[in-house]
Amino acid sequence: MHTEFVLNTREIEIEAPSTETLLTTLRERLQLTGSKEACVEGECGACTVLVNGRPVDSCIYATAAVDGLAVTTVEGLGGLDGSLTPLQQSFVDHFAIQCGFCTPGLLLTLSALLDANPNPDRKEIENAISGNLCRCTGYTQIVEAVEAVSLEERS
Amino acid sequence: MTEVGQSSIRSDGVVKTTGRALFGTDVILPGMLHARLLRSPVPAGRIVALDLSKVAEFPGVRGVLTAADIPDRRSGLVLMDAPLFASQFVRFEGEPIAAVVAETRTIAKQALALAVLEIEEMPSVGNIEDAIAPNAPLVHPDWESFATPPGLEWPRAGNVVAETCSDPEGVDEAFAGAATIIEDRFETGRQYQAYMEPRMAVAEFDGQRFTIHVAHQFPYNVRDRVAAAIDVSPSDIRVVGHHIGGGFGAKLDTGLEPYAALLARQSGRPVRLANDRSEDLLTCQCRENAVIKIRTAVSQSGELLARDVDVLMDSGASATDIPFLTSIPMHVFGSLYRIGPVRIRTRAVYTNTAPTGAFRGVSGTHLYFALERHMDHIANKLNIDRLEYRRSHLQPDGSKLPTGQVLEDAGILSEAFDAVEQLAPWSELGQGPNRGVGIAACMWLTNPMPGSATLKLNSDGTLGVLTAATENGSGAIATGVRQIAAEEFGLPADKVVVTMPDTDAAAFDAGSQGSRTTHIVGRAVLEAAIEVRAQILDTAANILEAAVEDLELANEMVSVSGTPSKQVSLAEIAATAQATTGPISGTGSYTTPMPPINPTCASGLLFPAFPTPTYHVHVAEVEIDPTTGIVRVLRYLVAQEVGKAINPEAVRGQIQGGVAQGLGYALWETLQIDGGRYRQRTFEAYGLPLAADVPEVEIVLLEHPDPAGPYGAKGVAEPPIIPVAAAIGNAIEDALGKSVDTLPITAERVLELLAES
Repeated sequence: MHTEFVLNTREIEIEAPSTETLLTTLRERLQLTGSKEACVEGECGACTVLVNGRPVDSCIYATAAVDGLAVTTVEGLGGLDGSLTPLQQSFVDHFAIQCGFCTPGLLLTLSALLDANPNPDRKEIENAISGNLCRCTGYTQIVEAVEAVSLEERS
Repeated sequence: MTEVGQSSIRSDGVVKTTGRALFGTDVILPGMLHARLLRSPVPAGRIVALDLSKVAEFPGVRGVLTAADIPDRRSGLVLMDAPLFASQFVRFEGEPIAAVVAETRTIAKQALALAVLEIEEMPSVGNIEDAIAPNAPLVHPDWESFATPPGLEWPRAGNVVAETCSDPEGVDEAFAGAATIIEDRFETGRQYQAYMEPRMAVAEFDGQRFTIHVAHQFPYNVRDRVAAAIDVSPSDIRVVGHHIGGGFGAKLDTGLEPYAALLARQSGRPVRLANDRSEDLLTCQCRENAVIKIRTAVSQSGELLARDVDVLMDSGASATDIPFLTSIPMHVFGSLYRIGPVRIRTRAVYTNTAPTGAFRGVSGTHLYFALERHMDHIANKLNIDRLEYRRSHLQPDGSKLPTGQVLEDAGILSEAFDAVEQLAPWSELGQGPNRGVGIAACMWLTNPMPGSATLKLNSDGTLGVLTAATENGSGAIATGVRQIAAEEFGLPADKVVVTMPDTDAAAFDAGSQGSRTTHIVGRAVLEAAIEVRAQILDTAANILEAAVEDLELANEMVSVSGTPSKQVSLAEIAATAQATTGPISGTGSYTTPMPPINPTCASGLLFPAFPTPTYHVHVAEVEIDPTTGIVRVLRYLVAQEVGKAINPEAVRGQIQGGVAQGLGYALWETLQIDGGRYRQRTFEAYGLPLAADVPEVEIVLLEHPDPAGPYGAKGVAEPPIIPVAAAIGNAIEDALGKSVDTLPITAERVLELLAES
């Protein structure tokens, strides 16, 4: 199936079976491995990417469905020069990362949250990541990292 | 100090936020093939037919492998009882029967669907107590033939894969004279480590040697275990470690690596083998489920006269490391509180379920659940406040465990009780309808196993640390070891690079287990630093034309004391040495000396002592919704002894994350076993804690520096998970007024308890 989409500002054109998931396209066809495969049942959020700015579980999302749309993965969040977004920097500064396997998915989910709501409260942050599992951190430092970014926006 | 004690950011923080960190699962090699295992669909049975001819003929398939293709041998961590492939019999659901390797993952999966496999189901041993019933079917009828490592023997018989007994004098007499005997039986669930990155391996074979790419907590164990499983020399195997997507103990033993290695040799191409989530869950070496019976003889005045404990642990279908764990009760049931003689019998049993194994705080979670729930029952029976009862029986400095180990600093526990009281007074917690408060303590070890570090001072003044230790996410390498090395040379942490593990390059390290990495490898860094510092000062003395005794090393410079203008940078020193006497480098090793114990304290396989012990108190306040049974954790307090917090924010992350896993164990997570099969088979069914389920943990760090630890550091990462189920269980019982004796305490279980009259 012919599919064209914009991936992190790059134009992509591929021929893929209609059953191919976006995660498989990203990881195996395009060898862009920042999006993680952890459950392949849309449960853990490690594979989260943005489709036209909206977070989706790429492991259960058909590549064919992004035809004509824009896909953002973790590799597309910061600058090509390696610069980080305020949220990425805040994750680093606030110890929101341990093993880091859930981090890409969380960053995309939370980037979408901050786009829609630059000053989320704790409850809103917790609700936003209810589809992202983290086994290491117990979540508190993740929530604090988001709060720190929104505080910065406010000041 | 400029680095130690600072919350310096993780060295891997940036690459983990940009998606550029290469995890094991991201390793892609030229020409790489993809493998998949054919696994047993039943817990016990006889293989009647296995025909892979259609699999082998499928387009894109490059090979198949079964027990018939390899020598008949068994291997294991301590008991040689596990074959790579089942041949005649299958012993647990998910046991590998065959492997296929193909051009793509999809082809491998499609091809395996064509395998002809017929299994005649046999009666299975589904749970612990069935396993020791008279006439129980034997999981391994040939158990007597299993070899043990040279010099290691322990009692085992039939389905009992290991037994440890301690029977000191005076127990029966104390029970005969007791004013009260309190008796409990606890049953705890099987917990899945549920790391986010499923287990995987990529293997290459160059005609002579294997290279295995892993995301593993213990690369040297992979090397040795694969070597034993496929019958090559350990040095024929190079294990290269990549970023690890969580492990929590489940990535200490070998798993998929031997299959990937055999298929790489057979196919002549790199082979990747990775679990999907469901097979990962079904075959993971989970925390063992257990049944614990405990009786304590108590005097009129409330003294603990003696105790009798019987522990049954479910080892699953092979021994893994469980025989060692049968000695953990020896370190638990006589700890914390003053007590007379303690009799302990612990048996690990085979069942037709996936083998269990190491999970953060091995066995401690269920053993302390039993001990601290039991202490509540004793206090309640005596009608004494539960906190007051504990405090008035705390072991002082110099107390002895049943093993004979002397706990020189046991009195720290009393300070931990003080610390949680200061955070929130006990008398003010758990007030109000449907609310309860629980308190629980624990003492835990810092794993003593050996490690090493080689330091090299680069000619640009940065420091390289070469070690086979692993960064499993805890920050032990990305913050702890790095900051210790930086501190030692007056460098900022970002001028220290610690290598990823490679068994060809770095000396042995015992892996990220038992909170050991910062303590052991940090100390190895200090040992190496002695040599490196001497080389630096010798070189600087020549450059500065000064005596070594007059030199000071700080802020990346060596200067002459009293004459700060006479100074030279570490970069110049390194470059000068490299050009004259040779590059500056040094190596150090460390393993904690074992504290003395009484070797005749027990029969069985002993993990002999709990070196570098630490002491902890947890308090939980809960509220129960009587309509839904849902337990909400309102407040959670931790006082934790850490020796010295090398990086306080990283330590906080270990405590917050450990408590979250403990809450999962206490309230939601379990693999229920029904006829030998798990009921939960996906993340969705398993029920991991979400952000909204976990409160922010309120933490007090206690710091009694360990003279042997680097800058005083002791183990940090395991203790926070250990007393959680006990504290939560105690709080729920306080709220409900009903005895809570099973884990997890799900909403369903709460409703059942409420319905009991």
